[in-house]
Amino acid sequence: PLSVSPAADPAVISPQDPTLLIGSSLVATCTVSPDFPLKAEDLYWTLNGRRLPAASYAALGPSTLSVALARLNGSRQQSGDNLVCHSRDGGILAGSCLYVGLPPEKPVNISCWSKNMKDLTCKWAPGTEGETFLHTNYTLKYKRRWYGQDNTCQEYHTAGTYSCHIPEDLALFTPYEIWVEASNRLGVAVSDVVMLDILDVVTTDPPSDVHVSRVGDLEDQLSVRWSSPPALKDFLFQAKYQIQYRVEDSSEWKVVDDVGNQTSCRLAGLRPGTVYFVQVRCNPFSIYGSKKAGIWSDWSNPTAASTPRSERVAGGCDPKGGEQNTTLRRELKQFFGWVKKHAYGCSNLGIKLYDQWRVWLQKSHKTRNQV
Amino acid sequence: GDSWGIFTFLCAALCNLPALPALNCSEELGAGQSIQQTYDLTRYLEHQLRTLAGTYLNYLGPPFNEPDFNPPRLARAERVPSATVDLALWRGLTDNARLAANYRAYSRLLCYLRVLDGQVGTAELRHRLAHFCASLQGLVLSIGGVMSSLGYPLPAGPAGPPAPHGAHAAPNDFLKKMDDFWLLKELQTWLWRSAKDFNRLKKKVPPAVVTLRLEARGF
Repeated sequence: PLSVSPAADPAVISPQDPTLLIGSSLVATCTVSPDFPLKAEDLYWTLNGRRLPAASYAALGPSTLSVALARLNGSRQQSGDNLVCHSRDGGILAGSCLYVGLPPEKPVNISCWSKNMKDLTCKWAPGTEGETFLHTNYTLKYKRRWYGQDNTCQEYHTAGTYSCHIPEDLALFTPYEIWVEASNRLGVAVSDVVMLDILDVVTTDPPSDVHVSRVGDLEDQLSVRWSSPPALKDFLFQAKYQIQYRVEDSSEWKVVDDVGNQTSCRLAGLRPGTVYFVQVRCNPFSIYGSKKAGIWSDWSNPTAASTPRSERVAGGCDPKGGEQNTTLRRELKQFFGWVKKHAYGCSNLGIKLYDQWRVWLQKSHKTRNQV
Repeated sequence: GDSWGIFTFLCAALCNLPALPALNCSEELGAGQSIQQTYDLTRYLEHQLRTLAGTYLNYLGPPFNEPDFNPPRLARAERVPSATVDLALWRGLTDNARLAANYRAYSRLLCYLRVLDGQVGTAELRHRLAHFCASLQGLVLSIGGVMSSLGYPLPAGPAGPPAPHGAHAAPNDFLKKMDDFWLLKELQTWLWRSAKDFNRLKKKVPPAVVTLRLEARGF
């Protein structure tokens, strides 16, 4: 059943929708409209659904009840705290939204990167936590140094909440001034200006087609090959690469730094009969001959491979060996079960498939542990 | 993801519009299929609304997100078309009136939702709202498709969408929250009612009706 109230608002709250600093106090009043037969003693207050103690009330007139709120905390939600004046039976007579927070502080930690010199993405951090209680608007602005016009970035939240993406081709060999303005109901703050040249913050895509394979029968080596990211062809920069690899059971990555601009590398000193995960990333450097490094790309998706284990079995009674055999037998059973489900025909059966299964096993262990 | 689902619904619904004056049995089949798809769309929207409403009401904060919250409905809130109707009246609606009521209601609700979208909220909320509006737009088009396939004229659009919003805008933030609450509630009720409307229509669309109408036009 719809309960439609008469046209006039039953009561009026003052102040209506105020903005306040954290820690401030407030006295609010609820005045019942003369059309309504309610007295001050018939009223009560709630804040965000919680009844406020009668001790904080005061009747300021026959149909006006006030409430005193002290040392306000930051707003529970950015739409404002709901301060409501009720009649005795719980009905809502009027409400006021309290916006409690802090004025913004200068946004900090502005960092930017350009993907293949085609765009610019910047991110920053809010100056203080207090400004998150209120809706704070951030505007990223940029302009070419020495050339008039301010430009405003339009595409926000592309790399997290505090980020913006400038899709246009920006001028190269020109310093840009970039800054972020923060504003909310309580004030405005402008970050320090960051100056950069697009060429100094270039990154690119990770290398593609990363292949890891055995080196003949060598037990302690793996060969890694990859293709340079496609964008490299278009630009006058060189690429240097970095490889990281780890043993399947470990979370410690080993980094190979001196790969240079080759697109292949031999990993040595590895453990025999072990599965390794390998990733490669790329840094566009010496752009237009500048000798400066760019920004490292993301790592490529991990590729797995295993080093061979020699066929010769150590002679003698080795109890540990026995254990390994049952584990191996169990593993093989699981493996063949998996193969039956996933391999179409036996032609693909081989070491590569076994390695892929190890990768899958590793991943499913990970997700199981994460749950 | 979801937008493709809507797109396929739309295409399927619109593709079933008969090319008059083609006179074949696929017309009645077309209307029937469109009604089924419109029904499916209302169920889908109902589901989507649950998540959207949950997020939005949490954004408004307590008591708006409390399950038993039932604020007074102020006279001003009447601008949102009400789904609640007398049962006998509802049963007696002609197919045309039934469809037209749905079409008008969702057209207006869509307008109000779009205004909501333009205002301050979190980025996540704005994203969900935009997605929901797109789906709701699909529903309006789908209902229009059904009406056309049955030979009914589309109701005239809501008079001057932007102006009423300015005139009827809530005078303070708290009242606006109440308006938003009732908008979502009304949307919920309409989707619930539409499912019943389209279920009823599904059983009622006879081929004879379509053929008769075409004959009346002299084909």
